[in-house]
Amino acid sequence: MSCTLGEVKNRADFIIYWGGNPAECHPRHFTRYTLTQKGKFLPRGRKDRTMVLVDIRETMSAKAADIFLQVRPGKDFEMLTILRALVKNQKVRAEAAAETGLTLEQLQDLVNRMKAAKFGVLFFGMGLSMTRGKHMNSAAALTLAAELNAFTKFVAMPMRGHGNVTGADVVMRYTLSYPFGINMSRGYPRFNPGEYSTVDLLVRGDTDATIVIGADPGATMPKPAIEHLKRTPTIVLDPKVTHTSKLSRVHFTTAATGISAPGTAYRMDEVPLPLRPALKSPYLTDEEVLKRIITALQKKPAWQPAVKGGEQIA
Amino acid sequence: MLRITGGKVYDPKNGVRGEIRDVCIAGGKIVSDVPPHARTIDASGMIVFPGGVDVHTHVAGAALNFARGLIPEQHRKSRPIFHTPQCRAGLAGSTPTTFATGYVYAGMGWTTANEAAVPILSAKHTHEELADTPIIDKCCCVLMANNEIILDLLETAEFERAKQVAAWQVWAAKAYGVKAVNPGGVAGWKWGKDCKGLNEPVPGYKNVTPRSIIKALADIIDQLALPHPLHIHCNNLGAPGNYTTTLETMKALEGNRAHMAHLQYHSYGGDDWFTMKSASVPIAEYFNAHPNLTCDAGAVLFGDTVTITADGPWQHLLYELTGRKWGNLDVENETGCGVVPYVYKEKNLVNAIQWAVGLELLLLITDPWRVCLTTDHPNGATFWRYPEIVRLLMDREFRKEQLKHIPEKVLSRIVLPDLDREYTLSEIAIITSAGPARTLGLAQKGHLGIGADADVAVFNERKDAMEMFSYPRFVIKSGQLIIEEGELRNSIEGSQFASKPTYDSAIEDYLRPLFSQHYTMSFENYPVTEECVHGLNVHQCGSCTQPG
Repeated sequence: MSCTLGEVKNRADFIIYWGGNPAECHPRHFTRYTLTQKGKFLPRGRKDRTMVLVDIRETMSAKAADIFLQVRPGKDFEMLTILRALVKNQKVRAEAAAETGLTLEQLQDLVNRMKAAKFGVLFFGMGLSMTRGKHMNSAAALTLAAELNAFTKFVAMPMRGHGNVTGADVVMRYTLSYPFGINMSRGYPRFNPGEYSTVDLLVRGDTDATIVIGADPGATMPKPAIEHLKRTPTIVLDPKVTHTSKLSRVHFTTAATGISAPGTAYRMDEVPLPLRPALKSPYLTDEEVLKRIITALQKKPAWQPAVKGGEQIA
Repeated sequence: MLRITGGKVYDPKNGVRGEIRDVCIAGGKIVSDVPPHARTIDASGMIVFPGGVDVHTHVAGAALNFARGLIPEQHRKSRPIFHTPQCRAGLAGSTPTTFATGYVYAGMGWTTANEAAVPILSAKHTHEELADTPIIDKCCCVLMANNEIILDLLETAEFERAKQVAAWQVWAAKAYGVKAVNPGGVAGWKWGKDCKGLNEPVPGYKNVTPRSIIKALADIIDQLALPHPLHIHCNNLGAPGNYTTTLETMKALEGNRAHMAHLQYHSYGGDDWFTMKSASVPIAEYFNAHPNLTCDAGAVLFGDTVTITADGPWQHLLYELTGRKWGNLDVENETGCGVVPYVYKEKNLVNAIQWAVGLELLLLITDPWRVCLTTDHPNGATFWRYPEIVRLLMDREFRKEQLKHIPEKVLSRIVLPDLDREYTLSEIAIITSAGPARTLGLAQKGHLGIGADADVAVFNERKDAMEMFSYPRFVIKSGQLIIEEGELRNSIEGSQFASKPTYDSAIEDYLRPLFSQHYTMSFENYPVTEECVHGLNVHQCGSCTQPG
């Protein structure tokens, strides 16, 4: 249950950030979309909104918050589950609440505020979705928001980063049904995160070659994955020198999208924005490089074993 | 150049009902004759139809793409489309991928589709998806009945300005028509509320009611002379007893043109889920007597699917009913959207009634020109199941057999067992092609007269209509042979139709300041540029006409 950021701007009188630090990681987010903006139904802007931060430590974002709840590391799932129970007026033991590092009163107060909100929103970051519990945490956060809709309007949205990752996700979905972790080796898309996700393929050393477009796995992925990228042919398309380009066999310098190449970027709420280049680049765009690779590949003989005299030659 | 010879031709618009005659094609159009050296297809023992036209489907856009992400478990079971020299890889299933959508529609002999729900804010995305949907021609309807700029203008009774804004919005979205979804109800949903009836004010407004929105939009569209009438999804969708709301809506539309979308979901009697029954009879009676209206069936077939609609409040209710997954995606100032995976079960009382109501409407509405075959894909069933419905319509005995599978207590609540009508092939050609083309105002589609677009489907004539319409022997799109001997052998790009109503460009000066207040995007980035739309084919609307 999500919405575009304009809905938050115009309506959200109650905003929770969970496991994220937008003040430092999404520096324009507060001022452009959520916290300080005057909205159609919130004419006084920041004064009309209440902001809660849930995190394991007091980050810069805590300064912006009205209420800061310091959850014990790794206890997000427990806290979310208790909140879900309280939303449904179920009894929760004080000891169970204490395990999360918060008191039952604090949690009950949060639930009361969530229910009393006219329009609530829960933004969750990688501190929730990538720590102990991982996708179970995200599911619990989304379910909490869904269940709150029995009382008031409530939405939840992941805080995404890393450039146009949402755009890649969107295009994969409409061309291949799945957002990531897709295996095309049988000629149609198959999906199995954990098996076909990039990091797993690389760590296991399943790939013969890798093309990296506008990403820098050499900087972020675990060592075995990086070792595999070094060992096998790696081709990088990137406007600049990156950790990955340094270990690659081939690096195509490409025009920077949004600066010297046109395109579309998807905001984290999946709203598409046209990119108009301000400068000219001597380099080709990513698209043009890939098109030329495809054209060259089409001239090569098919990889399937050729059929000769009715018998397959392996 | 191509000559199709020896086939029984069904071209209802030109009064051809199963006569054996030649169809000649040159330059992407139907022509009167082609030279003898033109390629000839022997269609003896086959029937020749104009390519199918889908008046209401959801094949592209942010909502559908959201749904794709929500149901990986359904994709796993769906039919793969393999990567070949002609085809891009993809999956069919309940939300086919863009490329698969083109192949599968063409693979059933359907060549035009109307994507029924597009918010302006994400219209750019919808057009990206449509550009990646090969073979078929496309158009789309922009969502307007919960657009707060329009509603605010109606609140202060500024009809003329609302009309200018609407015209600007149609062109900004590069849309072809206008869709109203649960007028006012989705705007109310932004506060967790809904509009069930036509007369209560929309939450957050004093003077605006669903009725006033419907009337204003229908007037605007008629005055702007858009080729397709107001495409309306009534209030109170899916609820028992909602047929009264539907009747009221149809009455409110007297004097206007209107297209009632997925009428099946709006034709229920009873007071609650336990007493729910079919109300197709009163709906069809009113509809039959009012030629200003057209509709599509929105029929339901049993099986797995996913429901996608801009009707946010209804989807929340459906989530509470199913307790399964729910996706909601509200679009700032414009509309909402909900996604709930759903299984229609034969043994479920409500589902069995829904199944019957869809067929009843198709059988009770007497003028086939005004009712189109749809399943509100993917809501009632996926579009590739249309041939199953065709068989149910053409074969009374088959229908009776199917009735044996549904719970007995349903039989007293539906009228389907009493209906003996069987569709003829001519009538099937009307509800799948000629009728929807007329409803959409696409004069070059849905027929095989001289000058029409050469979109032709050739089927082996068989007794079993489902088998016949599932696998065409030949499909020609824009004069190109796409399906040959039942195989996809060629893929081409389709075009996109958009309407350009006349508006005073000064309206942009009114919109610009509103925009910076209410939106989170710059005004300049909001409209879809013409370059974004592949194969754009613009319908210039007549000048604004004054009422009366």
